[in-house]
Amino acid sequence: MADDGFLVIAVAIDENIDEVRVLAENITYPVLMDPDHILTELYAISNVPAVVWIDEDGRISRPNAYEFGSDLLSEFTGRTRSAHFDQIREWVHSGAVPEDASSQIADLSEDEVAARLHFRLAAHLRRNGDEDGASRHFDAAARLAPLDFTVVRAAMPLQGESPFGEEFFKILAEYEAAGTPFHGIIPASEA
Amino acid sequence: MTTITILGDEVATATGEWADGRPLVEPDALSAAVGWTLKPEGLCRDDQCVLVGDGSAIRVGDKLDLAAVANAVDQPTVVDSDAGIVVLGQPNATRQAALRDRQAPDFTLADLDGTLHRLSDYTGKKRLLVAFSSW
Repeated sequence: MADDGFLVIAVAIDENIDEVRVLAENITYPVLMDPDHILTELYAISNVPAVVWIDEDGRISRPNAYEFGSDLLSEFTGRTRSAHFDQIREWVHSGAVPEDASSQIADLSEDEVAARLHFRLAAHLRRNGDEDGASRHFDAAARLAPLDFTVVRAAMPLQGESPFGEEFFKILAEYEAAGTPFHGIIPASEA
Repeated sequence: MTTITILGDEVATATGEWADGRPLVEPDALSAAVGWTLKPEGLCRDDQCVLVGDGSAIRVGDKLDLAAVANAVDQPTVVDSDAGIVVLGQPNATRQAALRDRQAPDFTLADLDGTLHRLSDYTGKKRLLVAFSSW
């Protein structure tokens, strides 16, 4: 989809630049690091992958959606990306957006915001070698937003746990039982 | 006096003191700490001012409580006095403008080589913002 009027900007909600380098290999568009999860607070992102369509003037044409917008991570999924790619192509060429683009995304609750701040503090303390302090704030974050993957799952590798292990699947089951409380659009093909 | 660490868009420090778990700084130090300045008309930043009445909500003696200042301008905080840290979140209004008014919040982040990119560097293009991770 090379086009002078279009650009993918990938943002890794991630602490581990080495892992991100592997995922970003051969990618030519900007891949940015967001270890402090600024984006999840600014855009109310609660899981990845999440895509936001932003027009030439900086207005959001289609808000947070759970889509695989690029080849990043595609090997981990069996989901089709072609429908989303077709929609993007149409938007780039004609400006037309799918019906779900008018969806209203629920704001973060105060607890969900506070969870992001506790996460940021925990990550900072961990970088400075204060594992106990980090653990205390990762726990506080998880209490405030127990079904937010950018909070609970992102913390797993930072606490020596696998983000693909038993604890993740337990949280995923709770998330699904709660009706997939994602701040954004979940396209029918992805649900 | 001690050093208060402020985790905002960047890691900053301010000279101040902790009193009953509250992070206090001299009014002169406020702007460098949180980007807001206390003026007669209120807390001001760029061309915007927020009224703070008689200031009693943000003052402790002749000092200012950083968390109370943030609260007054609707920026969330988490305070850990043991660690000596105030986490200063993004203005709630910025996210609400994204969700309600569709104004994409600007941000600046480094790429894998450390080069900074702003979303607004790419104004004039349609942009697909993709949040992803290794976890």
